[in-house]
Amino acid sequence: MPANTALPKTLGKDLGQLLGSSKVKTDAEDLLAYSSDATRYYAQGKPDAVVLSETVDDVCKVLKYADKYGIPVTARGAGSGLSGGSTPIQGGIVLDMKRMNRILEISKGNMTARAESGVVLANFHRAVEKEKLFYPPDPQSMDVCTLGGNVACRAGGPRGVKYGTTPNYVLGLEAVLPDGSVINTGGISVKQANGYNITQLLTGSEGTLAVITKVNLRLLPLPPERKTLVMVCDSAQIAAETVSQIIYEGAVPAVLEYLSVGAIWLMNTYSPIPVAQDGQAYLLIELDGTPAVIREDEEKIKSIAQKMKVREVKVIEDAGQAAGIWKARKNLSPLVLRVFQKSISEDVTVPRDRIPEMVRAVSEIGAELGVSASMSGHAGDGNIHPGVQLLEVTPELEKKAEEAIRRIIEKGIELGGTVSGEHGIGLHKSDYIEKELGPVQIDLMRRIKHAFDPKGIMNPGKIWLEKKP
Amino acid sequence: MIGDLDYYRALVDKCSHCALCEAVCPVYLEDMLETHVARARIDIINQTLYKKSMPVTPRVREIIDRCLVCTSCTQSCGAAVPVHEIIITARHALYAGKKQNPLQRFFLKDMMEKRGIRGLPAFLLWTAQKLHMAPKGFPKVSLRSFDSTYHGTYMPEGRKRARVAYFTGCATNTMQTDTGVSVMKVLALNGIEVVIPDGLMCCGIPALGEGDIPTAQKLARNNISILAGLEVDAFVTDCTSCGMMLRAEAAKLLPADDPLLLKALELSSKIFEVTDYLNTIGLSAKPGPLQGDFTYHIPCHRGWTGTLNEAPLKLLSQVPGLNYRPMEEPEKCCGAGGAFFMDYYDLSQKIRTHKVNDISNTGAGLLVSQCPGCRSYLSVGLDNKVEAVHPLTLLRRAYGL
Repeated sequence: MPANTALPKTLGKDLGQLLGSSKVKTDAEDLLAYSSDATRYYAQGKPDAVVLSETVDDVCKVLKYADKYGIPVTARGAGSGLSGGSTPIQGGIVLDMKRMNRILEISKGNMTARAESGVVLANFHRAVEKEKLFYPPDPQSMDVCTLGGNVACRAGGPRGVKYGTTPNYVLGLEAVLPDGSVINTGGISVKQANGYNITQLLTGSEGTLAVITKVNLRLLPLPPERKTLVMVCDSAQIAAETVSQIIYEGAVPAVLEYLSVGAIWLMNTYSPIPVAQDGQAYLLIELDGTPAVIREDEEKIKSIAQKMKVREVKVIEDAGQAAGIWKARKNLSPLVLRVFQKSISEDVTVPRDRIPEMVRAVSEIGAELGVSASMSGHAGDGNIHPGVQLLEVTPELEKKAEEAIRRIIEKGIELGGTVSGEHGIGLHKSDYIEKELGPVQIDLMRRIKHAFDPKGIMNPGKIWLEKKP
Repeated sequence: MIGDLDYYRALVDKCSHCALCEAVCPVYLEDMLETHVARARIDIINQTLYKKSMPVTPRVREIIDRCLVCTSCTQSCGAAVPVHEIIITARHALYAGKKQNPLQRFFLKDMMEKRGIRGLPAFLLWTAQKLHMAPKGFPKVSLRSFDSTYHGTYMPEGRKRARVAYFTGCATNTMQTDTGVSVMKVLALNGIEVVIPDGLMCCGIPALGEGDIPTAQKLARNNISILAGLEVDAFVTDCTSCGMMLRAEAAKLLPADDPLLLKALELSSKIFEVTDYLNTIGLSAKPGPLQGDFTYHIPCHRGWTGTLNEAPLKLLSQVPGLNYRPMEEPEKCCGAGGAFFMDYYDLSQKIRTHKVNDISNTGAGLLVSQCPGCRSYLSVGLDNKVEAVHPLTLLRRAYGL
């Protein structure tokens, strides 16, 4: 049900009266700043007002007001998402959650933490690691993205291969429903069997059901040591098959990244990587654990590499150099724009034993259509992030890119994969989700949405296509 | 060329909108409003000055002005968008160097063309400071400038190992003259002949920050002409901002057909921050012991050579008894931003508070930094409880000079 588009003329003034005018922005410049996430090329939508919420009470007031007038509300963390999920395509109110950034509790006894949803992930990492605890999810935007955004989009990251993604750590949530009521789902117990799992329903709901205001997260003990390795491979196939073999033989690195030759070249412009530059594909690996475990894993991986005819396995001994490589990896997606004019990064994820097939398919699709299609990403969990890069933007090339993306996604689904491993559906993949899940499930999702949000004000237009009348 | 909107058109489009600049922008981290971060500033400049789809409102000016030009976003940008150059170019388009009020212009002009505040303005400011009537937070001015004592050529002690030209910035020249003395004494002791040429002006970075491109060009041309005529092994600065200007920015201020451009480029590879230079050539005199703990604030205008950021640490590690206590996020901005702290007094103070806490948490009694602006602004924030010094001032003490 589309939200009511008849906005009260006094929107800004009303919100100012409710919350205090310093928390409400309606200047054209501010609205522009909030008109998309990190995929501006895909879609933009100007909100009618931006609210900088500082308390749960602020969120309740905004939702009650929006519910009364049927105004769309789009919650937003850093605006670093890659699906168009926080792009306010139907206007209305954008709720900037980043001022709600307090870490409320880190419990060593229970190995859990409770924090407001606007806490920046990297700050959360630093805080728990000070206590020798560990929160594995590490989307590459971790220096800016928020816990709330991570939960709402089921964010992952390189460490997904060993540790899973955000949903594996969410124990409970505080969330505000569209009518302004506050719910506390789940709890802080590590085992829960208390009715429908609303916690996990809101996790990944992309702001379409409620606004997440607090998160309870499970923590692990901090692995005492880490080690970075780089493998140089003479073909993309060798790299892909080595990934499958590493998983098959049960050596589970904390990170197992597949990097195309182009990706390594770009990363080198940011931070030097001391390996041969003429490989055809690279694997970037991090091992973690006790020194004994790391030694054992290293031996196992080196022997697999030898068997798979990997050309070189380089251990990065210098901690500063390793940090530089991981920093370059974090910046890979903007780095692509040093060479290309446009880059579309996808999020298809396939079962791990199908990675070699997926790698082959992507390069074939690129070659057939005459566009640059490559993969670089979290191979260890099947989430290699295929992408299409354009040296120049012309209508013809854009059409080809679109076609390449369509074929790549369809291939991923055909191999038993999913359209999104960790970015979420947002706007970009709403064309495809029905293909993956089928109409019955989409209809079920719509009915769930209606139960939470009968007026359809919560981040409208996302996940599935608006039902055509 | 900085100041030329057309030149930056394609670079404005390079912004991928990834939002990673949110992690490093001191202004954004204080305001927590996305309009005040690089990607939004770039967008707003794009819509107002390039596409002209939005009018230039007072709010647009505020968004473009409320930036420290600390260059943190430029340094970390994966897509290599030179954000600070785009901001400066936008300021040029908006103000053409006429932003400040006439009194500020007078002071700045005096400072820029005479390498520091000299003569009558210095006397007036000095008097005003004595009477507690000076602008809030303005650094102390010396009545006698560094270059009225030091100019010409200074032979080293013992065997000559190198000959350098010392570019003395405005702050050293008229406010923190003691830093200049430290540089002279340490270089001389280490067998380095020093030339201080006549006729140098301000490096131009204050003019650049304001978007006053003609003045910045004039200063750059003057300085390049003088420096390019010297036969020296290297050019050293004690100030990271002067060094950044001479090494990284000056050439970008000159049009492609300017006869000085080639000279500026040749010159640029020989510009060094003085501790960085001393590490390259090595100390020939062994420093004596000092007692104490120091911490190190890395100035924002850093990284213009690969070894600059770590250079003072490497140099001071040769002083026995000096103990380095790292602060959290040593690269975090102090909030001064040249004259920014006078226009945005509250915002700058908030930014400084984090830094002051990080410094205090180390427990160190000494703060080392190569930027005179940072040292002076942080000293006030620290109530002078921690002594802020240039690394060479510490080295000079270790030599007992």
